[in-house]
Amino acid sequence: MKTYKTRSTVLFDIIVNLFMIFTIISCLVPFIYIFALSLSSPEAIINNEVFFLPKGLNFEAYKSIFTYPNFFNAYKNTLIYTILGTLISLFLIVLFAYPLSKTYLKGNKVFMKIVVFSMFFTGGLIPNYLLISYLHLTNTRWAMLIPFAINPFNLILMINFFKSISNEIEEAALIDGLNYFGILWKIILPLSQAGLATVGLYTAVFFWNDWFNGLIYLKSSQFPVMLFLRNIVNGTSMVGDAAGAVDKATIGISIKGAVIIVTTLPIIAIYPFLQKYFVKGVMIGSVKG
Amino acid sequence: MKKLKKANKHQYWQLYAMMVLPLLYFIIFKYVPMFGNILAFRRYRPGMGPFGTEWVGLRYFKLFFKDAAFWTAFKNTLILSLLNLIINFPIPIIFALFLNEVRNRYFKKFVQTISYMPRFISTVVVIAIVSELLSPSTGILNIIRGKMGLDAIYYMNEPDYFRTIYVLLDTWQYTGWTAIIYLASITSISPDMYEAATIDGANRIQQIFYVTIPTILPTIMVMLILNIGRLLSLGFEKILLLYTPTNSQVSDILDTLVYRTGLANQNYSYATAIGLFTGIIGIILVTSSNSLSKKLTGQSIY
Repeated sequence: MKTYKTRSTVLFDIIVNLFMIFTIISCLVPFIYIFALSLSSPEAIINNEVFFLPKGLNFEAYKSIFTYPNFFNAYKNTLIYTILGTLISLFLIVLFAYPLSKTYLKGNKVFMKIVVFSMFFTGGLIPNYLLISYLHLTNTRWAMLIPFAINPFNLILMINFFKSISNEIEEAALIDGLNYFGILWKIILPLSQAGLATVGLYTAVFFWNDWFNGLIYLKSSQFPVMLFLRNIVNGTSMVGDAAGAVDKATIGISIKGAVIIVTTLPIIAIYPFLQKYFVKGVMIGSVKG
Repeated sequence: MKKLKKANKHQYWQLYAMMVLPLLYFIIFKYVPMFGNILAFRRYRPGMGPFGTEWVGLRYFKLFFKDAAFWTAFKNTLILSLLNLIINFPIPIIFALFLNEVRNRYFKKFVQTISYMPRFISTVVVIAIVSELLSPSTGILNIIRGKMGLDAIYYMNEPDYFRTIYVLLDTWQYTGWTAIIYLASITSISPDMYEAATIDGANRIQQIFYVTIPTILPTIMVMLILNIGRLLSLGFEKILLLYTPTNSQVSDILDTLVYRTGLANQNYSYATAIGLFTGIIGIILVTSSNSLSKKLTGQSIY
């Protein structure tokens, strides 16, 4: 394809690239700013000297959040919810998605309708809340894990993924005397890394970022780290020791910054590696369920 | 192959056995709460189970229809949703069209990766960052205002700024992500089309208007209809985090009203009635937009 370099196309190229640079800046700058704050001294922050480079470089904020027991505990809670939640979720999703991907199975259509309907009509906040308390799950860690174990969207994604695996391998395995459990475990799952990675990433991100369910169902020792962050942002709870009343607000800012960086970094570090999977995943998921 | 399937019919029980646990999950955690919506028509008594004790008919619906707070929330939900649709529906399309015009493959990939990032960030972190950036004393925006000799504005508390902040945050978080769909549909356009357009003397800008946009129009239509179907489902958590008593006149939406009246004030039946009302409007929007989509584009979501 030949393109002619006229003045208007050159101008167009410039506009396009400027637009992209603007996108990059607007995505990254908030984090750079927060990162700079987290490394700056309280005096520099209060004198409004921090822009995009840390002023009065120090690591006090990071040191202090890790000595703060509530933060440490909340971080640990979030790790537990994320790992356990993702495992339970993947387990249940795979168990359901595999039989649902077999369109020849009797009742398949009915089960699919059950799933799809739950995407468009839900119990709503109050009935869910009352159910969880009726089941005595309130104030237990299960309240964070079980009620959200299957996201119907992720389930459909997984079903579509399984459908895309050729049936022939399976037929051959059945002839070789493997049963369906064996096929799922030994043949389908090893072929499903992309699907598992996509759904796993979505699920892990959900559990990692969840705070609202912690707020309504849990007691403070069980709070996830996002709820901890929310509480220090809106001033419900205080961070660190009450060293000097004057310093408190500004120490607070660099500490907030440090908490933001420490809670966000794991996700930012992981998602680019899974990009090739989830981009495909979005496509598969967008195809009719 | 047919024969084989028959031969294995006696193994099908294994497939059904796999479904038992997940199906139980769906019944308990999806369908029991759906059924729990009957609480909207029944009086709740503490300790007497989640489904209420006696029928009261449409009592709670009549109550909230007379409640000014409900109508404010209803109005706020509609305004915010429409504003969000008008602004954040076209932006990802424009972004995808522009991204497709980036010549350098590595730069393109880099922009894409960066643009997905905000979607993975927790709403709590997003709000924490924004309230830092907009803080009246140390926020960068107000520092700049201060340098220009202007008074600091407490953006997060001002009702006038609430809608702008909400919509812009959605732009920030979801533009790159939503663009994936459009980009996929753009990359599926055959290069022959562009070649033909070039021979006809179309420059790159004309190609966008005469080749790219017409080809991805079906995708745009489906996405538009999907978005209309989801009109009432705003980012509840984000709004809850942005909510302050001073901006409540614009920030109180149906979902936050349910949260406040239900969980904070424990008017369970009343809140369930509002929730059910919202849910039913939602399902009407989804089904009607879906059948509209089927008629217009032949595509549907279920």
